[in-house]
Amino acid sequence: MANPIDVPVEMNHDSRQPPESYFVPATDVYETADQLTLVAEMPGIRPDGLAVTIEDNILVLRGTPGPEPQEHGEVLLKEFTAGEFYRAFQLPADYDTEKVEAGLRQGVLTLTLPKSERLKPRRIEVKVE
Amino acid sequence: MAMKAWVPAAGPFAELQREMNRVFDSVFGRHFRPVGRIRSGYVYPPTNVRETDDAYTVQCEVPGLEMADLEVYVTGDQLTVSGSRASTIPEEGVTLHRRERDTGQFSRAVTLPGPVDSGGTEATLADGILTVRIPKTEEAKPRRVEVRVGE
Repeated sequence: MANPIDVPVEMNHDSRQPPESYFVPATDVYETADQLTLVAEMPGIRPDGLAVTIEDNILVLRGTPGPEPQEHGEVLLKEFTAGEFYRAFQLPADYDTEKVEAGLRQGVLTLTLPKSERLKPRRIEVKVE
Repeated sequence: MAMKAWVPAAGPFAELQREMNRVFDSVFGRHFRPVGRIRSGYVYPPTNVRETDDAYTVQCEVPGLEMADLEVYVTGDQLTVSGSRASTIPEEGVTLHRRERDTGQFSRAVTLPGPVDSGGTEATLADGILTVRIPKTEEAKPRRVEVRVGE
């Protein structure tokens, strides 16, 4: 069974172009007999900032943070910043992309794809769990 | 340690950078993405601390955790955030293609620069970001000194 791999960053389709700089979400990918599951970490991303598309078996995850709230005071330690998340995966053709399900909880996106033959591309609605 | 993945848009090194990013992503995942130089590791959770006149605000990136997975406590002037990250990958009947999310116990302590009122501490969790507001003790807050004009 083919491994969903990261696609090269250059892609022709504009909506799949990555931003100039971005965070890569740490992602677990595993499959059972019935489905493929991807679990991607995007802390700080809310449902209205999340875009998940599948086209030509390329899955693109984009997470855009909301406007940063005005923060007061002096910074003593800064190890993380808000920023855009982006990742693209080449999916094997074995999954029914029409029936994909997506959920976002505490900054973690979980996508499940049942196995079937390849269908037409569509935009996926993300449910808030 | 959260790192910005710098992907230069163009130029002679753009393709080389992208190739390197791809290799690192496939092997290490986000937290080991090199920025300018190789990083040897990171602490968890990535933490920001701000100080105002009234309080310290500590934020930690803890995607996928719920309040039940976290212990947050203040002892003296030290804040400790600890807990455990469980894997969502089933034990059996699974073919693993990629595992980048870390799991296991963690504990991180941040010593604040001044005395705090542990009883007034408030913690909230949203979108995988824990925010802890720890008020300073009254004595520790800066006091405005009235300047009287001499006669």
